[in-house]
Amino acid sequence: MADNAAEVAEDYRQALEDLTVNSRIEIATLTNIARENAHHGFAISEALANHIKKVPPARTLPALYVLDSVVKNVPTPYALYFGPKLYSVFMGAYTKVDNATRRKMDEMLKTWKEPVPGSISTKPVFPLEQVRPIEHALMAARNAAYTAQQNSFQGQQQLMRGRQPAPSRDTPTPPTTRSYQPPPQQPSYPGSNGHRPDAAQRPYPMQPANGPGTTSHRSTPQPAPPAGSHPPYQQPAAGPVYGAPQPGISIDKLKDDVQQLIVAEKAEFAQDPLDTSKQTRLKALLDLQTIIQSQDMPQDQLMIIRDRVAELAVKIRPQLPVTAGPAGGGVAAPNTVYSGVSYTTTPTPPVVSQQSTPVPPAAAAVVAAALGRPPSAASAPPATGGGVSIDSIFGQGALAALISGNARKSATPQQAPTPQPPPPAPAPAIGPAAAAAIAAALRSPPLQRPAEPPKPAASAPPASNPSALLAMLRQSGLIKPSGTPTPPPAAPLLPGFGPHGFQSLAGLTLDANPQLRPASLKTFRPHMISRLHEDLGPPCTQCGRRFKANEDGRRKKTAHMDWHFRVHQRMTDAEKRGQHRSWYVDESDWIRTREAIDTDYTHPPQDPSSTSASDHHHHHLSSTSGGAHDGGAHGGKPNSASAAAAAAAGRMMPYLPVPEDSARANNACPICQEKFEMKWLDEAQEWVWTDAVRVGERVFHASCHREAYGVQALAQAQAQAQAQGQGQGVLGKRKAEDDVGGLRGRMKMEGY
Amino acid sequence: MSIPGLGQIAPQQPTTSTTRTITLRPFWEWRFEVPRSSSAATTTSATTTAPGNVSVGGGGATVRLTSGAAERDGTELALNRVYTFPRNTQSKLLTYTGATLEVAGAFVDHVAQYPAPEASPQLPVLNLHFALQELRAGVGRGGGDNTNDNGGGGGGGGVPGPRVMICGERDSGKTTVARTLAALATRAGGQPLVGSVDPREGMLALPGTISAAVFGTVMDVEDPAAGFGVSGTPSSGPSAVPVKLPMVYYVGRERVDEDVPLWRDLVGKLGSSARAKFAADEVVREAGLLLDTPAASVAKGDLDILMHAAHEFAVNIVVVIGSVELHAELQRRFENERTLHGEVVTLIFLDKSDGVAERDKDFMKFTREAAIKEYFFGDAKRTLSPFTQSVGFDDVAVFRTPEGSGFYDNKPALERADISAEMSHWTLAVMNASVNDPPEIIRQAPVMGFVAIADVDEDRRRLKVLSPVSGRLGNRPMVWGRWPEPYINLLG
Repeated sequence: MADNAAEVAEDYRQALEDLTVNSRIEIATLTNIARENAHHGFAISEALANHIKKVPPARTLPALYVLDSVVKNVPTPYALYFGPKLYSVFMGAYTKVDNATRRKMDEMLKTWKEPVPGSISTKPVFPLEQVRPIEHALMAARNAAYTAQQNSFQGQQQLMRGRQPAPSRDTPTPPTTRSYQPPPQQPSYPGSNGHRPDAAQRPYPMQPANGPGTTSHRSTPQPAPPAGSHPPYQQPAAGPVYGAPQPGISIDKLKDDVQQLIVAEKAEFAQDPLDTSKQTRLKALLDLQTIIQSQDMPQDQLMIIRDRVAELAVKIRPQLPVTAGPAGGGVAAPNTVYSGVSYTTTPTPPVVSQQSTPVPPAAAAVVAAALGRPPSAASAPPATGGGVSIDSIFGQGALAALISGNARKSATPQQAPTPQPPPPAPAPAIGPAAAAAIAAALRSPPLQRPAEPPKPAASAPPASNPSALLAMLRQSGLIKPSGTPTPPPAAPLLPGFGPHGFQSLAGLTLDANPQLRPASLKTFRPHMISRLHEDLGPPCTQCGRRFKANEDGRRKKTAHMDWHFRVHQRMTDAEKRGQHRSWYVDESDWIRTREAIDTDYTHPPQDPSSTSASDHHHHHLSSTSGGAHDGGAHGGKPNSASAAAAAAAGRMMPYLPVPEDSARANNACPICQEKFEMKWLDEAQEWVWTDAVRVGERVFHASCHREAYGVQALAQAQAQAQAQGQGQGVLGKRKAEDDVGGLRGRMKMEGY
Repeated sequence: MSIPGLGQIAPQQPTTSTTRTITLRPFWEWRFEVPRSSSAATTTSATTTAPGNVSVGGGGATVRLTSGAAERDGTELALNRVYTFPRNTQSKLLTYTGATLEVAGAFVDHVAQYPAPEASPQLPVLNLHFALQELRAGVGRGGGDNTNDNGGGGGGGGVPGPRVMICGERDSGKTTVARTLAALATRAGGQPLVGSVDPREGMLALPGTISAAVFGTVMDVEDPAAGFGVSGTPSSGPSAVPVKLPMVYYVGRERVDEDVPLWRDLVGKLGSSARAKFAADEVVREAGLLLDTPAASVAKGDLDILMHAAHEFAVNIVVVIGSVELHAELQRRFENERTLHGEVVTLIFLDKSDGVAERDKDFMKFTREAAIKEYFFGDAKRTLSPFTQSVGFDDVAVFRTPEGSGFYDNKPALERADISAEMSHWTLAVMNASVNDPPEIIRQAPVMGFVAIADVDEDRRRLKVLSPVSGRLGNRPMVWGRWPEPYINLLG
């Protein structure tokens, strides 16, 4: 299927290439192609998303219209597929097009919040929570642009003081900054550079390396018209922060840090030995220490560990005042940005900041404040973060991943150009400065929306975050980005996208099928959802069970609907007759009984003479696919005399529902004096006497009766019995004298 | 009600006031709790507007899926069909794609919203399912002659599909996860074997039992236990939801630690039944096993219990919900373990869903009572008529575990019980054994069914017994357990 999907995607991509103007017809055609290939929807959505990202600004709008059209006309599955990417695609496009196009895009965005015109569905094209971040980003970007103009200068200054530029960390971010810088922006850029030569320099070198190539140039950083203003403010933040801390991570320093943490953690643990989270955390730390000491870790992984350690440090000393001076401010902001960027894999931008940030939350708060966001927004996440199961951060699995990561020093193809190794794998294209700006702006808004319905949402995401980190850790070593080259670039494009963006892409590229590992289990793979629905075919209207739309599926569905019908009919009947719970089967019967799904109509009856359409109960349950749980057979369903005759001839086996009234029936055959064999018959959903036939008021073994009175007599008797409405069924070939194991465990009920 | 032809009568006017529409985005959950005191079935008299409130009125909860796709514990709801949830149901409906529900009746509810799928506690379960599907597919491919149809008794070779044991503390959502995984597997066309070795809640049987059954067909969405309830077992008539055929053993205790030796023996029996099933049925073998377990802490006894279950069922995947310590402990214990088939045991930790409801004593009691009633009398969809008969004390063989047994081997496993008024309203297990079998055999025999002692007349030495199936009871040993205590008079 992969091949096929890839082909379809490639075709689609080529078709898109041809789309240069805003042609209704071409767009309609592309929509139809998408519709017809909905089963490859994910591949197509990828192709389209990538196309939008890559296409020159002039041709962006038509491509967006295709997206718009596809999503509105074929909402399933496309709305689902595009939803998570929406932010990145839209913002990516927004940043590169001119103002006229932007206005068009604004209009389009508006329609996404509403139901598709003419559609029955009242759902908006995209769920609000996918559209809203975009709106917020646009708004925030505009605002931030202005604010930033004022703040940036100061912020930069502080930054400069605070840190020395350092070679970039593993994070793709710095380069991003660069890569995003579109030529048009240039003017603003230089400005900022001038201020801080350091920062400026560093990023530059990186750039070439990082750039995923394609993505890098086209996107202009500024989401909002006031673009010019952005870069400056952004830039300072981003560059210095990550790069700065260490020009290379000192293992010793790291060991020290870990050691300190352990000490602190031990102290905490001692206070509250029952707190399991502390316990686990401590254990994680100890494990980590061992690893660091015993292994030769590549820089990139050290970086990650360092960050994580820093994060833990923050948690462990939560008292770090929110009141911290404005000093830190400038720094924090960038950091946030950066973190957002780097986590292509991360679902939750908000939390991210803490993890990567060595800076105390306070600082972030300050910055936030400076930017006009409530400090609480920034500081809140840490708190939540603390609640996270440490296990997922530093679980065994994670360590294992680390270790194995060491084993193969990953030089991922994609990364190759980049000096920094694998971790950024998912993020290669990331964080153009501009994008970062948006992200920064974006970041706060979501948190800020207290006005919104009291969703636990805001706080929820953080929880999952650590796992995302873990995922990154894991990916750094464990998984090669080998697969699809396309998706990754896509993801990286924009740092701030909606929570799903990262994860889904990461999931796709790095972890296509869920593995039995914590991070993998927490990765959302939107393309798999259809396996639960569409892929299984349309559902039965009565019970929701799905049947594939192929030949086999249709056949099964017919049988299934038929089953519903018969059961329905019989229910009324049964109500009148009265029914009761059955005994459970015994072990050997249980082992032999096959779960049967509806009646298998297609198997022709084994006896040619009983081919009448109503005769579907011809299989002995232990020898066929079919003991349907339906059992429409006997009970009032006339079996032709010929069937009975056939039974008499030894080809079919008659049975009789166990009489409920013990007075009315003998429980042993009058001829042989043996008891009837009772067993649960799935087809009939009843306990039956096998090889039994009722003649008048008496019940005989069919085989005995046949021997005694001959075939004709039996046939007559049966026909007669049926005329009287006595339930009787015909079983598939199973001779009484056969050693039928299924009967071994039958229950003998005496005393009827 | 609108009358056809009279255009001016606005149709549907009243319904708007009694029903409420709930829109779920992907991975959101509609969590609801139908109170014990309401009576199910009425759909109209409730008025609700605000989520989070109790809607007062006579109704249970009715739900109709009006668009999208939604499911209860893995089993999909049919579109536009009205589902009624009976009293004392605590559950959730979840969607992966978005859905609109129309709900009415009396219940407490709220919508759990998640900003992203990653935040949903369901995502790991879903991914676990997909991972298990991969493993199952592996069995299918490697399984040689996989006739997939009724191959009869094809040699039972080969390692079965994943055998998953689900552990966790009390009220951590074990059963729900087991059920969800089972339903998802079934939905994908598989036929997993589902086992429960937790006597506290019977699966397809009354409480006090352990059981296993193949789930190859749709589960009952309306069952309070979502398909694990006793109402899903065969009766003499047809069933709108395909029935499941369980293999049942009787513990007669609430907690395993009250009679560990017996439990161990029975788990051994159930485990061997499962092995035999795998051997006999390649479709089931491919799908593997999902095993629900008793609530466990890190206490040594609990761990031993889990280890025993894992061994008996050759479990190769252990899912731990919610308890990090338990996960760590089990990880340690399983570290050097290999299954029967030489596999390493994989441990998985799942966070406990924030939606798991604490089930108080009353809830459990109501559930047990409801199960017993359902066993004999059926549920809303299927009315059953049990048989009442009067038998002499001497015509039945009732056994009971001697007081304090299970700890001392010198006591007999079972002894004939003195029938007295004390037995009134107890539910006894009818064993699939002979009265003359030795106690040890009887004790470990499969359960054939249950009877309820409606009345004991000590003077006349006669018992009034409620039995699902007519017929003399004298030739089957009946075992009188020590739990659940009787509290209802079924014939009251």
